[in-house]
Amino acid sequence: MASDRGQSEDFSGPLKRLLLAVLILCLVAIFLIWRIDSPRVERFRAQVVDRVVPQMDWAMAPVTGAVKVLRDFQSYQRMYQQNQDLRRELQQMKAWKEAALQLEQENARLLDLNNVQLDPRLTYVTGVVMADSGSPFRQSVLINVGARDGIMEGWAAMDGLGLVGRISGLGQSTARVILLTDTSSRIPVTVQPSGQRALLIGDNSLAPLLDFVEAPDQVRPGDRVLTSGDGGVFPAGLVAGQVFADPGGRMRLRIAADYERLEFLRVLRSFARERIEDPGHLIAPPQDPTPDATAEATNG
Amino acid sequence: MVETAALHLWLMRAIYVGIAGALVFLHLLPLDTRPPGWAGPDLFIALTFAWAVRRPDYVPPLLVAGLALMMDLLFHRPPGLWAAFTLIGTEALRRRAPGLRDRTFAADWAAVVGVLVAVTLGYRFVLTVFVVDQPPLGLSLMQLLSTLIAYPLVALASHALLGVRKPAPGDMATARRLP
Repeated sequence: MASDRGQSEDFSGPLKRLLLAVLILCLVAIFLIWRIDSPRVERFRAQVVDRVVPQMDWAMAPVTGAVKVLRDFQSYQRMYQQNQDLRRELQQMKAWKEAALQLEQENARLLDLNNVQLDPRLTYVTGVVMADSGSPFRQSVLINVGARDGIMEGWAAMDGLGLVGRISGLGQSTARVILLTDTSSRIPVTVQPSGQRALLIGDNSLAPLLDFVEAPDQVRPGDRVLTSGDGGVFPAGLVAGQVFADPGGRMRLRIAADYERLEFLRVLRSFARERIEDPGHLIAPPQDPTPDATAEATNG
Repeated sequence: MVETAALHLWLMRAIYVGIAGALVFLHLLPLDTRPPGWAGPDLFIALTFAWAVRRPDYVPPLLVAGLALMMDLLFHRPPGLWAAFTLIGTEALRRRAPGLRDRTFAADWAAVVGVLVAVTLGYRFVLTVFVVDQPPLGLSLMQLLSTLIAYPLVALASHALLGVRKPAPGDMATARRLP
C-alpha cells in the first residue's frame, strides 16, 4: 500500500499538475479563440484537413467500395423483382424523355424568339466525395477539389439531381460541403408556383424545415422549392426539392438530391452579381471644359 | 529488464495512437451521408477512460490532448472543448485509479459512468453558455448511453487482446524497485 501511495504522489507531483493545468488551459484557449475569431481557426482546420485526409484517401476509396459492394450484395437476392421494377420504370421514363425532348425544343424556340440571355454562371467543377464529417452531429462531406481548382467559399454544390449544400471550409485540395441537413445550414429559397420566400433550415433530419414563409397557407405539399439567392450570398434558381407536410403539420423539404449516395458533386461557379448602387443619373451630352456649358447641360 | 519495460510502455502508447487513427479513419468513411437517427458510441473516449483506469501510464495527458484535439479538428466539432473535457475526465479517472485497483469491475464502471455523464453535461453546458449550435439532445444522450454500454466491451477487448489490465500489487512492487 505504501508503494501505491508513493506511485500516486509521483503522478500528481506539483510540476505534473502545473503542466496539466497549462494543457487544459491551452485547449480551452483554442476553443475561446475559435469562438471569438472563428474564420481564422476554421481556415486552420481546413488546412489540417487538407493535410490529413488526402493521405488516407488511398485506403478510404477501396474500403468504401468494398462496403458498398457488400451492401449491394443484399439487393442481389431481390434481383428478379428489381429487374421487373426497373423495366416498368424504364417504360415510363421513355415517355417522359419524349416529353422532355419536345419541351426542350419548344423552350429553345421560345428563348430564341425572346432573345433571352442565359445566366453565364452555369459552369461547374466536379469533385469526388472523399470523407464525411465523421460525427453523427454534423452533416458535411469533404470533396477532393479546393482552392487550387478555383473553388470559393459559399459556392453551391449539387449532384445531378438537385442542391446538396454549400462550400464552407476550403483547403488547397479539399473543400467541405455543409449539407442542407446540417443544423447550421440556412438557405434562402422560393417556393414555386406561389413565389413565396422562405428559409430552409437544416435540423439533422433528412427533411430540412421550411420556415419564415411569408404566407404559409399559399404553400402546398408538392410545390417545388428553388434557391432564391436572397442576400446575394448563394446562387439563385437551383432546384432543392419538393415541399411536404410532416405529421406535426410543419412544412418540410423532400430533398431532390440523392443523399443516400453522394459520390460526385458539382460545384457551381458563381461570382458575385454586379450591384446597381446609384439611383441613376441624368444623361448629359459629353462635358465641355467651360463651366457654364456644363451647368446648362445638367439643367437641360 | 528496464529497457524492455520502457519498450513495452512505448509500444502500448503507439498501439493507442494506432487505434485512435483507425477510429478516425472509420468515422471519416463516406458510407452514408444521410443524417443518422441514432448515434454510435464514442469509442475513443471509452478506450481512453478504460486505459486510464487500468494503466494510466499508457495514456499520458499530452498524447490524449493531442489526439483529442486532432479529432475535434477533423470531425468538425468546436476545436479544443471536447478535447479539454476528455483530458479532464481522463485525469479524474487517473486520480482515482489507485483506489479502483483492488475493486470489482462494477466499481470501475460506476466511476466511468459518473465521469462521462459529468463530462457530457459540462460540454453541453459550456456550448450553451457560448451560444454555439448544438447537436440535438436526444442524439447526445444516445451517444452517451451507447458509449457507456460499449465501455465494458472496450475494457474486455483491451484486457483480452492487448493485455491492458490492472497491475497486480506484485507487479507494481517490482516495477518500483527496478529503476
